[in-house]
Amino acid sequence: MAILEIKNVSKFFGGLAANSDVSFDVHEGMIMGLIGPNGAGKTTLFNCITGYYPPSKGEVIFNGRKMNGLDPDKVCMLGMVRTWQKVRPLAKLSVVDNVMVGALARTGSLKVAREMAMEQLKVVRMEHRTNFLAGGLPIGERKKLEVARALATQPKILLLDEVMGGLNPAESEEIIQLILDIKQRGLTQMVIEHDMKAIMRISDRIVVLTSGEKLTEGSPQEVVSNPDVISAYLGEPHA
Amino acid sequence: MNNSILKSALIALLLAGLLIVPRFVESPYALHMMILLFMSVAQGQSWNILGGYAGQHSVGHAAYFGVGAYTTMMLMHSKGVVPWVGVWAGVAAVIVVALIIGSICFRLRGPYFVLASIAVAEIMRLSAINLTPLTNGAEGILATEIPAFKIGATVITDFVTKVPFYYIGLFLVLLTLGVTYWVQHSKLGYFFQAIREDQDAAHSLGINIALYKNIGLVISAVLTSLAGSFYGIYVGFVDPPTVLGLDVSVQIMLICIIGGMGTIWGPVLGSLILVPLSEALRSNMITDLLVKIGMVNADSKIGLFLKENLSHAHVLLYGILVVLVILFMPDGLMGFVKKLALRRKREAV
Repeated sequence: MAILEIKNVSKFFGGLAANSDVSFDVHEGMIMGLIGPNGAGKTTLFNCITGYYPPSKGEVIFNGRKMNGLDPDKVCMLGMVRTWQKVRPLAKLSVVDNVMVGALARTGSLKVAREMAMEQLKVVRMEHRTNFLAGGLPIGERKKLEVARALATQPKILLLDEVMGGLNPAESEEIIQLILDIKQRGLTQMVIEHDMKAIMRISDRIVVLTSGEKLTEGSPQEVVSNPDVISAYLGEPHA
Repeated sequence: MNNSILKSALIALLLAGLLIVPRFVESPYALHMMILLFMSVAQGQSWNILGGYAGQHSVGHAAYFGVGAYTTMMLMHSKGVVPWVGVWAGVAAVIVVALIIGSICFRLRGPYFVLASIAVAEIMRLSAINLTPLTNGAEGILATEIPAFKIGATVITDFVTKVPFYYIGLFLVLLTLGVTYWVQHSKLGYFFQAIREDQDAAHSLGINIALYKNIGLVISAVLTSLAGSFYGIYVGFVDPPTVLGLDVSVQIMLICIIGGMGTIWGPVLGSLILVPLSEALRSNMITDLLVKIGMVNADSKIGLFLKENLSHAHVLLYGILVVLVILFMPDGLMGFVKKLALRRKREAV
């Protein structure tokens, strides 16, 4: 069953079409990869889906409900949460307080929120950082904190915007394991990623965007063997 | 654990001390200083909830201070409404004003919000000057006599001495401290701080930004209005510059900047510094001191110059103090204290 349906979504900034006529479905429990060269409109699409921009045209349907025009906080309360490509830690709060802010979307009790937060910190293996200030963490842990905070809002679908960007291979590997762990728990995920090897490993399906349009969609094998995708990334082959 | 018991004991002791002060201190001047201190703490603490915790740096809190003060005074002056009823009318008026201001200004972020908040306070000041039939214009409202506080026919207290004001001021301090403590230890505090640290991230985590900013503003405005009403009754006089002027807004904010924004004890520390400092400068205390220790001859040119000008210089010294604090203690005194404590802890390990 499709948990998230993107139907003919377009987003214009003035005359520029950042997304035009993008459609695809995300099914429950799967990991949907979203790839494309820089400026292809991946993050814009995330912003349209999660309520930061209203789509200029088209519909976003989540759990059978039309999301257009809903604010990000409502989107989160309905069970769809995103992380940020450029991480946004609440710098002057401790790590556990950061995650508690997410948990407080679901409970009014600080005690319960703290327990929920600790649970998520365990998931991302950051219990040893509980009382550190979020602003002082290295980038790898900031990325994981983003994920823990998002998970604490108890989402039905998690949208990850380049969680591996800027990480070293060991840290990337850790994130890959984390994403697969989260999948094991039955949570649907949509992942923007530049690291091709990683995205091929984790995705069940992949959508390729170029210049705001959907180029193709398919299993990782189908996508890598598609000549259009190769030319979009590497340019046309010389005759 | 032991630490927190010690802390509670200290606070209880301090409170007990403050409660019995008027039994031993009879000097009206000393009581006056304490009342000013209380008022400052209450003002700073009120601003702190919106500015320090939620990060919305309003430079227009004079609007709420003034509306509270004016409503109470106007009702007492023209309708004979006793102040402890008028105070709540002031609170009601301030809630309306705050919600109108919030719904407009909170569409703006950062410096734009600051500018809008100044503009709103200035509108209030100009309205007070020009709505003469209501506010008595630039002349202000003078309350010659404050009726005694009665329940039924029994007089609980009159307002002849400063003692009842001392207790009301102390009550305001406890109220604002209590509210701040409650905010910090509830969902509200987490949401406010999330909005302060990163509004977009907070939004994505399910926090209704507009709603929580307005909640913060209303709490902050209501407490500021109480302080304003108290000021009006205590001084017995309000006019546009003293309760609605820009310098009122700046003063309220400075208490927190110097003491430490977003901390419970910051506004207390800030007041402990600013109130005595401005009083010392205003009353020529510093010149007298310099003369006393023999650094300056009272009749020399320098002595006369200081005597004449130092009392006007308190704004200048304020400015210098703010610059120094921002340069060397960007998190205020409280932040500085916390940093020292942290360093000591680290060295102990």
